[in-house]
Amino acid sequence: MLSSCIFRTLRDGLRALPVTLLSLLMLGGIVQSVHASEVNIYSHRQQFLLQPFLDAFTAETGIKTNVVYASKGLAQRLQAEGEASPADVILTVDIARLGEYADLDLLAPVSSDILNANIPAHLRATDGRWFAFSTRARIVVTSKERVADGAIKDFEDLADPQWQGRICTRKGSHVYNRALMASIIAAHGEAAATEWGNALVANLARRPQGNDRAQAKAIFEGQCDIGIMNHYYFGKMMFGDKPEQRDWANAIRLVFTNQDNRGAHVNISGGGVAKHSPNRDAAVQFLEFLTQTTAQQLYGEINFEYPANPSVEPGGVLQSWGSFNRDELNIEKLSELAPSAQMIIDRIGW
Amino acid sequence: MVATFLSSWAHVRSRRADGWSIGALSLCLLLLGPVVALILKALGDSGGLWGHLLDTVLLRYISNTLVLMVGVGILACLFGVATAWVITRYEFPGRILFEWMLLLPAAIPAYIVAYTYTDFFEYAGPVQSQLRMLFGWTRPSDYWFPEIRSLGGATLVMASVLYPYIYMVTRIAFRLTPASLFEIALVHRKSQFWAVGLPLARPAITAGLALVLMEVVSDFGTVEYFAVETLTLGIFNVWLGMNNIVAAAQISLVGFVFILSLLGLELYARSRQRFASTSRATHALRPLHLDLRGQTACILVCCIPLLFGFVIPVGVLLKFVLTGGLVGNALAIAEVLGGSVLVAGMAALLITLVSTFIVLAATYRGGAALRRMAMVASTGYAVPGTMLAIGVLIFAGSVDRSFAAVTGDGRASLLLGGVGILILAYLVRFQAVGYGAVLSGIRRLPDNMMGASRVLGNGFTSSLRRVILPLLSGSMVAGGLLVFVDVMKELPMTLLLRPFDFETLATYTYQFAKDEMLEEAALPALMIVIAGLLPVILMNRMLRRTD
Repeated sequence: MLSSCIFRTLRDGLRALPVTLLSLLMLGGIVQSVHASEVNIYSHRQQFLLQPFLDAFTAETGIKTNVVYASKGLAQRLQAEGEASPADVILTVDIARLGEYADLDLLAPVSSDILNANIPAHLRATDGRWFAFSTRARIVVTSKERVADGAIKDFEDLADPQWQGRICTRKGSHVYNRALMASIIAAHGEAAATEWGNALVANLARRPQGNDRAQAKAIFEGQCDIGIMNHYYFGKMMFGDKPEQRDWANAIRLVFTNQDNRGAHVNISGGGVAKHSPNRDAAVQFLEFLTQTTAQQLYGEINFEYPANPSVEPGGVLQSWGSFNRDELNIEKLSELAPSAQMIIDRIGW
Repeated sequence: MVATFLSSWAHVRSRRADGWSIGALSLCLLLLGPVVALILKALGDSGGLWGHLLDTVLLRYISNTLVLMVGVGILACLFGVATAWVITRYEFPGRILFEWMLLLPAAIPAYIVAYTYTDFFEYAGPVQSQLRMLFGWTRPSDYWFPEIRSLGGATLVMASVLYPYIYMVTRIAFRLTPASLFEIALVHRKSQFWAVGLPLARPAITAGLALVLMEVVSDFGTVEYFAVETLTLGIFNVWLGMNNIVAAAQISLVGFVFILSLLGLELYARSRQRFASTSRATHALRPLHLDLRGQTACILVCCIPLLFGFVIPVGVLLKFVLTGGLVGNALAIAEVLGGSVLVAGMAALLITLVSTFIVLAATYRGGAALRRMAMVASTGYAVPGTMLAIGVLIFAGSVDRSFAAVTGDGRASLLLGGVGILILAYLVRFQAVGYGAVLSGIRRLPDNMMGASRVLGNGFTSSLRRVILPLLSGSMVAGGLLVFVDVMKELPMTLLLRPFDFETLATYTYQFAKDEMLEEAALPALMIVIAGLLPVILMNRMLRRTD
């Protein structure tokens, strides 16, 4: 009964195929309409992490926000849309992604006294095309039980043969590890970075796999003793609502590396205004909002990230982990070195 | 491809300008637009990256991809053909239930299965925990257990959810094999399966296998999570890691060439072989009765794929939903479900219509060239979703720019940013599914069916309406339902191309699954499965009616 009904629909549809095609395409045109006092956001950051910021922004300014979230390809979408693009603001994590937008000339320079005052120079593009909003440190975590406190101080220490078969990481080609490799290149040059990478790979306890949390879990389970992760995962595991993850967090010790030399490698989440933004004023207003106290503190509360604005104190939990020195290398450098870093990663098979 | 187009165009020109052929050709061109856009992108300068890739990773990518294709191909055939055989040939308890349940894994996205398997088989998971309790092991070094995040694991995961593509078509083929042929095999003491069933079902099996292998080549979610370095994973390393989309497009064409050459091989093999008419059996094939041991074996054959493809993943998801207490999200998810069903329904309807139109035109109006063209136009399935989405973006971008030039409004847009581009993308990607279903339907019709109707005084369209379409209806609806299920779980293209604030169950699931927040991802993932249930049951009824 149902299937014959479906079939009848199909048969009638076949007769009206050209009309159907055309009307479906037109539907696309109708759906897209641009209202005043809106900000359209293309985000590489998941919606549920972004939503609290959007709610706070709308509450403060009355400006509505619309979001498309995707993990990859948004730059190509923006490029294909060209002048017709409805996008106002681009939000990303990882500096290399911002670099991709900058390379494709998809961002508009912004000169805003508020943004320039809130964000230190090494965390924004010299021409004002992008700004960092929060920073995250890539850290070493060690087993509280099986690795002595202070045994590892620098990322360079991971190359020591004494850790053979004891280190776990996610794949080298993941953006987080790629940026780490770029920072090693920036510090020591390509040849030394390759040597470091080879030694690190030789020390791995298992084929690189899983995400950052999975490394903590592997330490908890005793598969390895040392891992590399972004600092905020510790907060998420410790204060999330999953008891088993609290056990993983309790099994590890955080090592903010390179404190006696260049400082810990940090990456950023950031963003900029789209080149053909139809709501440019509102877009700049949104970026400014993200660098001010309310939003800057939200980064810590929601995702345990450090504020990029130095005048905003990190929240309670972050403060309790202590302060640390950051590598103040101009963050743009990491983006420039990303392709070389990926080539080394390919070569060493990380 | 260009040559195919030109020759088919020449063919069309040489006949009178026939609306059907021209229409089908234009549709094929529309379908090929995004793939051509990607090819054009690949023609750019990749900055000498190939030397580096050849020296370092490319051979590994290719060999891993091949091993994965062979592994999944074999396992999926094993699952699909064995289940199809016992379901059609033997009578055993639960047969009717298994018949449709075996289709269920088709509704679960492979990457979700990968997440659940990790949870199930890893060190802290129930399997290893039980083993440790049983044998008194305490540390990972006390015993060996296969690593699920591996090439082998990926093979198992993909075969477990992809075998229904083979099961579905092979079952029809077995059922349509004339019973008399099996009787001949019995009389001559030959194996019914090896001597009759399998050889006659070969075209169906290869058709299903082609879909499976295309899925394998284009999969990203599973291989990324299991860190298996396939070509697709390589595409993303080159694109996002080295900021080189040209080289990425080039690598994705390597995968595309894999598939094209496989299809070519199969065409060649088939061209040297004629199959006797496998039309309606003179009398229905009766399932054979078995002794207890035989029945147990049949049940086992059906249980294994079902266990891996459905019971374990859904069990893990259910565990998360029940222990997570996240029913509060239900309202948001209900809204998302609406969006999913809407786009999946639209895409299924459109794809069924387009593929029926193309198949009819190619079969009754166009020549061999149009038939080849139609096949080539359905290969979008073999390009990884995100790359295909970029092809769609470039294609739609040029359409929109022409549109803006015509209207004189620089901000006017026909496709980009709306639902239209999503539907176009689904059409390009899943055309293969609808086309395959309708094509297999029309191949079962006797060649002279149309001729007979015309001789009886019906015009071409009236013959289609009165004779051909009613006979094709089962295949059309089955194809449409399969597309519906496929769109429901499609992730990468929907993620990138969707309008503002538009979610499908797949994208909603992904934002949590990406961070391994399986508890939050479980309910929407389960909804994808539930939404796939009705189509699967309907599809099964259509399949049963084919005899």
